[in-house]
Amino acid sequence: MAFRNLRRRPLRTGILVAALSLMVAALIFALSFVTRVNASIKLTSDRLGADLMIVPTGARGGAEDILVENRATSFYMNRSFLDRVRKIEGIDKVSAQTYLVTLTGLCCSVPSSMVVAFNQDTDFIVAPWLKEKLGRKLRKGEAIVGSESAYNISLGMVEMEAKLFGTVFSMVGVLDKTGSGLDTAVFISDENIDEIIKNSNADIKPDQISVIFAKLKKDADPYKVMSEIENNIIELDVVMRKDIGKSLIVTLGDISKIFYLTMVLSTVLSLFLVWAIFTAIANERTREVGIMRALGAKERHVVRLFLLEVLVLGAIGSIVGIIAGTALTSIMSQSFSILRNLPVELSMFSRTVIALAGLLFGTGICVLGALSPVQRLKKLEPLLVIKQE
Amino acid sequence: MPQIIVENVTKTYLVDAVPLDAVRTVSLRIEKGDFISIVGHSGSGKTTLLSMIGGITRPSSGRVLFEGEDIYAAASDRVSEYRSEKIGFMFQFASLLPILTVKENLLLPTVFRPIAAGQETVKAEELLRMVGLSDKINAYPAQLSGGQQRRVAIARAFMNDPALVLADEPTGDLDEETEGDMMRFFKTMNDAKGVTFIMVTHNTDLASQTKRQLRMSQGALQTL
Repeated sequence: MAFRNLRRRPLRTGILVAALSLMVAALIFALSFVTRVNASIKLTSDRLGADLMIVPTGARGGAEDILVENRATSFYMNRSFLDRVRKIEGIDKVSAQTYLVTLTGLCCSVPSSMVVAFNQDTDFIVAPWLKEKLGRKLRKGEAIVGSESAYNISLGMVEMEAKLFGTVFSMVGVLDKTGSGLDTAVFISDENIDEIIKNSNADIKPDQISVIFAKLKKDADPYKVMSEIENNIIELDVVMRKDIGKSLIVTLGDISKIFYLTMVLSTVLSLFLVWAIFTAIANERTREVGIMRALGAKERHVVRLFLLEVLVLGAIGSIVGIIAGTALTSIMSQSFSILRNLPVELSMFSRTVIALAGLLFGTGICVLGALSPVQRLKKLEPLLVIKQE
Repeated sequence: MPQIIVENVTKTYLVDAVPLDAVRTVSLRIEKGDFISIVGHSGSGKTTLLSMIGGITRPSSGRVLFEGEDIYAAASDRVSEYRSEKIGFMFQFASLLPILTVKENLLLPTVFRPIAAGQETVKAEELLRMVGLSDKINAYPAQLSGGQQRRVAIARAFMNDPALVLADEPTGDLDEETEGDMMRFFKTMNDAKGVTFIMVTHNTDLASQTKRQLRMSQGALQTL
C-alpha cells in the first residue's frame, strides 16, 4: 500500500527523493572528506618514527605538505642546527633530511616529485623500510623510490637509470607503502648532494638541510624539549608527533565548517520539505484515513501505514544519495588537491559506516519531518473527516 | 437484554463558536436481529446518531451500550476493535480506497482484526458473487460505476461477520432493480444470520420494508 501511495504522485515523490538524495550525498562527501584527511594525518604521525620534527621557522606547513599531502616543496636551514639540537637536554637521536624538488625536463628525467636525501648513518625514518626492502645501505649514485613513485616506473616513465639534477642514478628498488607522503618520494643518500649542487642549479647550498627528526630519551617530556629548542634556537619551529597535520586540521576545520553549515541548511530544507509534503499528503488522505478508522483501524495502523511510506521514501532517497555521494567523493578526489594527495584511501569498513550513517540520517530526517502530520492524522475523529465529503 | 442501548445521547458541535446540538438526548433500545430504518431531512442528525452507535464519534453526553458494555468508556483501541469485530459500515458516499482493487478493498477490514478469521479471500469472492460483481474482483474503483462501487461497499460491510450493520443511505446510487436486490440481500442477512440493521434513508418505500421505522427531526428521535 505504501508503494502504491507513493506512485500516486510520481512528481512529488521524485522531488522529495531528489532533495533527500542531495542532502545525503552532501553528508557522504563531507564525512568521507573529513575521515580520509584525519586518517591520513594519524597514519603519517604514527609511522613517522620520530618524536619531534624540527624545521626552519615558517616551514612547518611545508613539512606537513610533504608528509601528509604528498606535496613537493623545499625549504632549508644550515646543517649546524643539527648539532645544536643534539645538545638539547632530553634528545636521544637526531637525523637530518634534505628535500629537493625535481622539475621534469629541466634537471631530471622523472616526473615532478620529491627527492629526499638522508644520512644513512644517523637515519631512523627511512632505514627500517630500506632494510626490509633492500637489505643494505644505498650506495652513492643509487636511489630507491616510494611505492607511489614506482607506479610511474611501471608506466615506463622512469627508466631503471634516471637523471636527477644532472646526475645519473640507478633505481635499485621500490619501498613498501608507508601510507605517508614519503610514498611519492625518491630517496638518495646525502653523499650525493655535493655532486647535485655541482651538476645542476638546484636551489640548495652546501651544508644545508631541510628537516631534523629527533627521538627523545625515554623519560624526556616532549613539551619541555620542544620549548627548550624553540627558546634556544629561534630560527627553528618544532612540531610534536601528535601535532603533525595540525595546520591542515585548522584549514580542514574551516572547510568542515562550510560543509557542516551546508549540511545544516540542507537538513532544515529537507525537514521542511518532508513536513510540507506529508502535511499535503495527510490533508489529501484524511477521508481515506477516516474510512479505515471506521472499518476498525487503530491509531497504530494509521501510523504504521504512513511510517512505512516515510521509510520507503527515506530509504530510496538515502540510497540514491549514498551512490551520488560516493561518486561525488571519487570525482572530487581527482579535483581537490587536498584529497588527491592524501596517502590514505577509505577502507571498506569506513565506507560502510559512512553509508550507514547516510542511510540513518536520510530516513531519520524523513521520519522526523512526517511526525507532526502523521500525529495529527491519527487523532482525527473518523466522522468529521468522513463528513467532509 | 437489548443488544444496543442508547441512553440520553447528545452530540454538540461548535459552529463558529456557537454550540449546535446535532443529536439531542436520544434514547433507544435495539434487540438483536432488529431491522430499523431512520428517516428524516438532511441535517436532522441521522448520520451523527448512526456514527455514535457505531463508535466513530464520541457523544458529548450520554452512553451507548453494546451487549451491556459502554463502548466509549473503553480505550481508543478497544473502540477500534468494537468497530472491527461488531460493526459493518455502509457510508452514504463511495468509500472505497482508490489504490486498492475491489478484492483488496473487501479484505481491508480483515487487516485490522486482532486475529485473522481465515478464508478471507473465499469470503470476499462469495460476497462479491452475492452483490453480482464477481467479474470485477480485480478492478480498481475508478473502473467501476457509482452503483457498482456502492455494491462493493455493501459487500465489504459483511466481511467481518458483523453483529450490527449501520447503513447510511446504502442504496443512494442504485437503480430501482439493484436497490430491490440489495434490500433482499439485507433481509436475507437479517433473517438467516440474525444481523441487526440500522438503516438511514430518505426513501420511505424502503423504510416501510423494515421491522421498525423511526424519524429524526432537529436532533430528536420519534417513533413513526
